[in-house]
Amino acid sequence: MSKEKGKRDVLAFMCAECGQGAAVTAGVARLGYSTSIKIIRVKCSGLVGPIQIMDALKNGADSVAVIGCCFQACHFFNGNFLSMHRIKLMKKLFKEMGYSDQMINHYTARAAEGETAVGDFEDAIERLLVAEKEGGTFA
Amino acid sequence: MKIGIFQLNGCDKCFNETYLLDKHINDNSKNEIFRVKNSEVEKWSEKDLDYAVVTGYITLENHEFVQKLSKIAKKVVGYGSCTTTGGIFGLAYQKGYDITPIAKIIPDTTLISGCLGEIEELSEILQGHPIKKSEILCTSCARKSTCEYLDEVTRQIDPQEDVESCFNDFGHLCSGYIANSCKEMCVDYGTACRGCKSSVDRAGFRMLGMFGTLMGNVEVATEATGKGGTDKLADVDDDVTESIPDVTGSFFRFNLANSVLPIGRNQSNGSIMSDIFIGRPIEELPLISGCIGGDHSISFTLDIIQAYEKGLIEDLPVSEKTVELRNNLLSLEKELNSALKASNVESYEKITNQIRKIAGNMNLSNLFFGGFKVPIDDSGDFEGYKKSIFEIREGDYQNGNIKYSLNSKGIVTKFEMEA
Repeated sequence: MSKEKGKRDVLAFMCAECGQGAAVTAGVARLGYSTSIKIIRVKCSGLVGPIQIMDALKNGADSVAVIGCCFQACHFFNGNFLSMHRIKLMKKLFKEMGYSDQMINHYTARAAEGETAVGDFEDAIERLLVAEKEGGTFA
Repeated sequence: MKIGIFQLNGCDKCFNETYLLDKHINDNSKNEIFRVKNSEVEKWSEKDLDYAVVTGYITLENHEFVQKLSKIAKKVVGYGSCTTTGGIFGLAYQKGYDITPIAKIIPDTTLISGCLGEIEELSEILQGHPIKKSEILCTSCARKSTCEYLDEVTRQIDPQEDVESCFNDFGHLCSGYIANSCKEMCVDYGTACRGCKSSVDRAGFRMLGMFGTLMGNVEVATEATGKGGTDKLADVDDDVTESIPDVTGSFFRFNLANSVLPIGRNQSNGSIMSDIFIGRPIEELPLISGCIGGDHSISFTLDIIQAYEKGLIEDLPVSEKTVELRNNLLSLEKELNSALKASNVESYEKITNQIRKIAGNMNLSNLFFGGFKVPIDDSGDFEGYKKSIFEIREGDYQNGNIKYSLNSKGIVTKFEMEA
């Protein structure tokens, strides 16, 4: 995918409950965040697995953030925790392959507090910058 | 019909197995079979073929030759996991070896995966029949899974303690979920499925997703974001990363080169063998050597096993019966090599069947540190040659022409093999 020089795409998979809820609250409160963030709403962060994350990274995303509900607050059962386990393994895999593990991470957000989502976005972008500095991205 | 069989690189077990085509193809007398191996491949100049069967892993230097084959042969068949997905040699992709699955060079290749590739499937293809669709391994496995969340992951188990429960239920990673059932059936010989014959695309990532989910009760480290006040995944080592010391080798054992991952950026250690073994846990070593040793897989595997046994001495005792069975295997290996030298199909088949009887399959799944994983016959003296669960000890180990070093977690840090 051709991309403007210096422009970055951070794909945020946000769960329809707390994750997307927090992003909506951020919008209502007119909190600003980077235009690099591209959101895909998913039913639960537990639905996002290695296949979806790798598809994103292979098709132009520079990094991926998965944002789910707070601990013990998954609206299903424990999707956020399961997603964390898989992302943790993927991070280790990236390191073993000689790449940075900062391109992917899992966050949580609170639907009532827009700043939680904005904080997660900022952290994801900071991590991507670290990965670029280390020269560990897939690009 | 003209059939060309080409062995490119790596172990030649699949190439040797194609000797059995004589027995499997009806009226093979009408066929002309050319067998071309390693260095002779580039010099080969036959003009037209009905089938070109490629075995062994493919490197950048072979691309031109494989493309040439697609022009001179009506159909190209990739036989064995090394050709179809990079196989176990594809683990060197982690250290920058550009190993290419054949379908990335010729998209319409017929693929027969498996380590060892199944000769029955190859003969069906060569006779123009479609391959029967294999069933998923879990449906034919005698063990049944509950898919309950795991509290911990186990690196070593006693397979005979419970023969009805799925390996994954013990927390022992089995790739059966993403594999088709095959002739080698490692699961029948106390070994969790290696995933050599994957049933899905991007098998490694699917298995990682599956097992990552199963690890639901294993503790994962989290920390406060510091921004907005919620929590996120922490970057420190935790029970999840500690439980699987080698993610690449555990989930991408046979399909790393075929995954969507970019080529590894780790520095090579000088030889493909050391690049495959370094970074792998000790309990994986005999299973890898069983797959890549070719003509010498038995002596290679026993050298690896005996090196560690010698290092642990009394902590990893070996019974006389075990030594006797191992010696039988070594003499069978010698006989096998003589049969191959003489191109004697009858004795090749006879000897491989004898090897399978002791070692379980041609990947030597039944061999392990301290003894054997499952009983070899019904004589009832299994306790006399049963493998033991061993402790992991840091150090340098050597036997025959194999030398390796382990760190405190049992991961290989150095591997040397004298030619």
